[in-house]
Amino acid sequence: MGDFWFEFVEITQTIGDGLFFGATYSLIGIGFTLIFGAMHKLNMTYAAASLAGAYVGLAAFTFVNAPALVVFLISALASGLIGLVVYVACFRFIPVNNHLAALMASIGALFFIDEIVVHTTDGSPLTFPAMFEYVMLEVGPWGLRGDLLFVLAVSVASTVGLLYVLYRSRLGLATRAVSQQDVAARLCGIDVHRTNATTFVLAGLLGGVAGAMTAAAVGVLSPLVTVPLTVKGLIVTVIGGLGSIPGAIVAGLLVGGLENVFLYFRGVNERDMYVLLLLFVFLVFRPHGIFGSAIDRD
Amino acid sequence: MLELRGLSKHFGGVKALDGLDLSVREGEIFGLIGPNGSGKSTAINLICGVYAESAGTVRFSGQVMNGKAPHERLRAGIARTFQNIRLFPNLTVWQNLWVAQNSPRDVAAQGFLSRWFGATRRTRRELAELLELADLGHKGDELASNLAFGEQRRLEFARAAAARPRLLLLDEPAAGMSRQEIEDLGGRIRGLRDSGVTILLVEHVMELVMGVTEQIAVLNFGKKIAFGTPGEVQRNEAVQEAYLGTSASDSGAAGEGA
Repeated sequence: MGDFWFEFVEITQTIGDGLFFGATYSLIGIGFTLIFGAMHKLNMTYAAASLAGAYVGLAAFTFVNAPALVVFLISALASGLIGLVVYVACFRFIPVNNHLAALMASIGALFFIDEIVVHTTDGSPLTFPAMFEYVMLEVGPWGLRGDLLFVLAVSVASTVGLLYVLYRSRLGLATRAVSQQDVAARLCGIDVHRTNATTFVLAGLLGGVAGAMTAAAVGVLSPLVTVPLTVKGLIVTVIGGLGSIPGAIVAGLLVGGLENVFLYFRGVNERDMYVLLLLFVFLVFRPHGIFGSAIDRD
Repeated sequence: MLELRGLSKHFGGVKALDGLDLSVREGEIFGLIGPNGSGKSTAINLICGVYAESAGTVRFSGQVMNGKAPHERLRAGIARTFQNIRLFPNLTVWQNLWVAQNSPRDVAAQGFLSRWFGATRRTRRELAELLELADLGHKGDELASNLAFGEQRRLEFARAAAARPRLLLLDEPAAGMSRQEIEDLGGRIRGLRDSGVTILLVEHVMELVMGVTEQIAVLNFGKKIAFGTPGEVQRNEAVQEAYLGTSASDSGAAGEGA
């Protein structure tokens, strides 16, 4: 009984930590989803831009010793700005129907952003200020890590903010109008290019928060994180159902939780293999993801 | 108010519209009819900027519209509805109207915050009036996709009106409507005209066209074959031939009104 109880606590603790950390995957997934929903195109730069935003935030911390909140704010703004640049460079002038060109352009931009980061940091990992690292809440036999609680709180707050903008503000309604019926939107006087640019900036703001949070939770920022985070983001987007925001949220938590289960049973070397297997299972048995519709992000 | 000169659209070798000249006067209800595939929808799409013309000019209150994007033409005062309804399905009825408020007057009246975030009290009142006019007053919070067909048509009409157009292009607004609904629609069209909006009506349902329009142009194979008052057009031989000479469904539609 004692052993079993101990193991139960261990596993639930692991899953819980994973769920908390999964909140960052949800944010990255939401970002991919937002842009896919608006333009039906994948923006491959998203995770790289998010981390680049976090680097700018880190610079603010390193050089002027900015407080945590400001670091997050700067990360978000920087990433939003990068989003705008990526939109103009890779999407704005490429014909709407040429999906491959936009995809390739954004892959190019992904490596370009990555290279800039590698060159300015000499490719070595940098320490990122951890938040509430030593805080630990005891809930029965379980412990809630302060840094992960912080991650969860910020994720929830920024998701709620985003949903508010998307579903209640005219700005967000216009972006959804474009994604649902772009011809009608144009003819209702909505400037589609400006609206799409807005979507990129919104997604970028969210990405900057996610990037800074990932860095704060892990404690370091490294160019090595870019590709895995891109892959995780895409996995989350596909599992959630391309274009579905609720799907991205649930899938992010699911991937985060399961990742830790795989970690617990199979170790760190095999973890990602099982995550990819999970993607495979979804692609075969539920290609539209958890929340179905591949057409509209609502 | 609207002047088309030599307006043409070629799709590959097909001349969907071939040198159309047309002028619509301010404050009138102008009908554009013709058999299926005669170029009516192409003409509308050229006027509102969905297609780029192959040749010719579109002039709206003296301004050349060629090369302007649809949203720019809307701001200049041209709005439209669609033959196959194109609402924003996952926005509520009220939100459908709200996002369509893009007239220069509305843009100027709203500050940045009320334009991009919350609606002002005045906006709410104006949209509530539009909803009442469309008999959708009690449906404001429904998703557009949950409306019945007739309600969706009324919402699309109201959405176009929300943009405060000076010229409204109606693309077969009566398609699929019952006799009662058509009568009702005729009233709405007149009402909008009386409030100062010029109307270009493309329609197959002859009882509506003959009932509300003051001038009619008839298209066949991309060319204008007749022009005149409803009475003149009905008596025109070329028009009768165009309708009777094509598919049975079109001749039926023409016969119904004639």
